[in-house]
Amino acid sequence: MHTSSKIPAIQIDDLTVAYNYKPVLWDIDLVVPEGVLMAIVGPNGAGKSTLIKAILGIIKPIAGSVEVFGKPYKKQVDKVAYVPQKGSVDWDFPTVALDVVMMGTYGSLGWIKRPGQKEKKRALEALEKVGMLEFKSRQISQLSGGQQQRIFLARALVQNAEIYLMDEPFQGVDATTEKAIINILKELRKQGKTLIVVHHDLQTVPEYFDWVTFLNVKGIASGPVKDIFNDDNLTKTYGINYKVAVNQT
Amino acid sequence: MTSAQLEIQLIAALVAVACAIPGTFLVLRKMAMISDAISHAILPGIVLGFFITQDLNSPLLILLAAITGVVTVMLVEFIQKTGLVKEDTAIGLVFPALFSIGVILIAKNANDVHLDIDAVLLGELAFAPFDRLLVGGSDVGPKSLWVIGSILLITITLLLLFFKELKLSTFDKGLATTLGFSPLLIHYALMTVSSVTVVGAFDAVGAVLVVALIIAPAATAYLLTDDLKKMLVLSCFFGIFAAFAGYWLANILDASIAGSMTTVLGFVFLLVYLFAPKQGVFSVFFKERQQRKEVSLLVFLLHLQNHQESNERHVNHLREHINWQKVQAKTVLDLAKKNNLVQISENIVSLTDKGQEFTDEALRYITTNKETAIEELKDRYFLFRG
Ligand SMILES: Nc1ncnc2c1ncn2[C@@H]1O[C@H](COP(=O)(O)OP(=O)(O)OP(=O)(O)O)[C@@H](O)[C@H]1O
Ligand SMILES: [Mg+2]
Repeated sequence: MHTSSKIPAIQIDDLTVAYNYKPVLWDIDLVVPEGVLMAIVGPNGAGKSTLIKAILGIIKPIAGSVEVFGKPYKKQVDKVAYVPQKGSVDWDFPTVALDVVMMGTYGSLGWIKRPGQKEKKRALEALEKVGMLEFKSRQISQLSGGQQQRIFLARALVQNAEIYLMDEPFQGVDATTEKAIINILKELRKQGKTLIVVHHDLQTVPEYFDWVTFLNVKGIASGPVKDIFNDDNLTKTYGINYKVAVNQT
Repeated sequence: MTSAQLEIQLIAALVAVACAIPGTFLVLRKMAMISDAISHAILPGIVLGFFITQDLNSPLLILLAAITGVVTVMLVEFIQKTGLVKEDTAIGLVFPALFSIGVILIAKNANDVHLDIDAVLLGELAFAPFDRLLVGGSDVGPKSLWVIGSILLITITLLLLFFKELKLSTFDKGLATTLGFSPLLIHYALMTVSSVTVVGAFDAVGAVLVVALIIAPAATAYLLTDDLKKMLVLSCFFGIFAAFAGYWLANILDASIAGSMTTVLGFVFLLVYLFAPKQGVFSVFFKERQQRKEVSLLVFLLHLQNHQESNERHVNHLREHINWQKVQAKTVLDLAKKNNLVQISENIVSLTDKGQEFTDEALRYITTNKETAIEELKDRYFLFRG
């Protein structure tokens, strides 16, 4: 782990984000050290997706700042890859799996330049990695939910980023796929990448992650799983009923 | 064919292609109605431009009218953002207002404006060859040919340069944003191109029919392909086809050219909608019927494999043992026989070796949750499909 490196992968100061002037995230401070595999946990509507979107500049915060490796996100676009929570694309778009994965290479191409053989090869490798090679020519609406999720993971992989932001990558996938995805994530961390994953299954947090952030409208706690993943923080985040939340998942 | 006839067809074809390209992206962005709004709302822009330039093909007029189009889009978005009304309502509020201003402007000045409502609605393609472009005294062709030709050239250039950006921002705005391509910029670029195209096509096909040229070719192509590039090519093809076929239809019927083009487009859409190989009404119907029959066949084969006792395999008892409500026992039995999967002796049905093999393999796929592989299995074993 590279937790000792000086510049954090992501540093968030006093971040407040609102929809139609109604704040859903209040005054968040968060430091994500480079090289961690971090879970963001919190109840539905806690603002987890919003936080990720704010990091990516998809939503403009009304206060505060986000820095990626010490600079504003806009200057670090090529260092960050994002796997959205399902449902944010047009599934009936005339495009096939391979094509979608290739879109991950557009960032490194910049404006106007078109993808070529090199990009195609990288996309095929990524598809292979997530076990979706045989589906490369499928129209994306004809894939199952878990398969779609893998395609978006492959798309993030070809971005060859330093930081990966993933919004519930395990939502609706079977146990085998979940294991396959987590292995890929762990391998990325070994390569020194930083991974931030919105995660709902509290039981698997200690097994999958080494860092955790508790979020519920405000930042509750953030740090190594072994130090802060405890009843106290869970209660603060989920209220007295957090054990119900654990049992449900 | 006279040269005027040729020129009309050429103009019609260029208009069709110029409309089909932005149309493809508008359809994919589910913004078909916006083109309707633009095509009506540019009218005041055109009338004002006409007062100033006295020339329907003047670049200044096109610019003025196109700005009106983009302003319309912004107005619609502004009203929508207030959250008080939905997008279609916002469109319905904006464009009739602007359109009626245009109509009033024409009516008030009917004497000194050579514009009439009919032409505004339906265009005057038949007259296009009479308005010539003169360069240094010599005739280089109809003005509208040059106008729409230039617009098309710009459209194609932009499409080739920014295909990737357009595609990405249409498919996944979020990723486009995070990768540093500005979807907002691309959105307004597309709106500008659409507005300019509508203005350029207006003269030829009018406000109502230009919408059909924008939407129908793309909607038709959408039914036929999973590939954006092919969809673009097909849209253009349908547009060109409608231009030529529409022209000759108008000739035969002595009707409006633009009206005939639209009729052809509507007809082509209907044909494709019914007969498209994958998504067409008929093919979906037949495919479902085939699937239903083949599933029954599989159920039937599994039943035969599970039951050695002959009373379970007697032809007359099959109806009771399997749920055959939807498909007649006889058709399934025939299908099994035709494919040499079963044999019948003394009214007792049994699996052949081939049937045994097929059933074993299918069963393996079913239990391992790889049901898609059965399709491929059927291709290997079946001589006749259901
Ligand atoms: N586009 C939007 N407009 C208005 N409010 C929104 C919008 N998106 C989210 N919200 C609100 O912001 C709050 C945070 O939403 P967010 O999607 O970030 O939650 P989340 O933690 O990701 O929840 P989940 O676990 O259900 O995915 C919620 O109260 C939600 O209702
Ligand atoms: Mg969420």
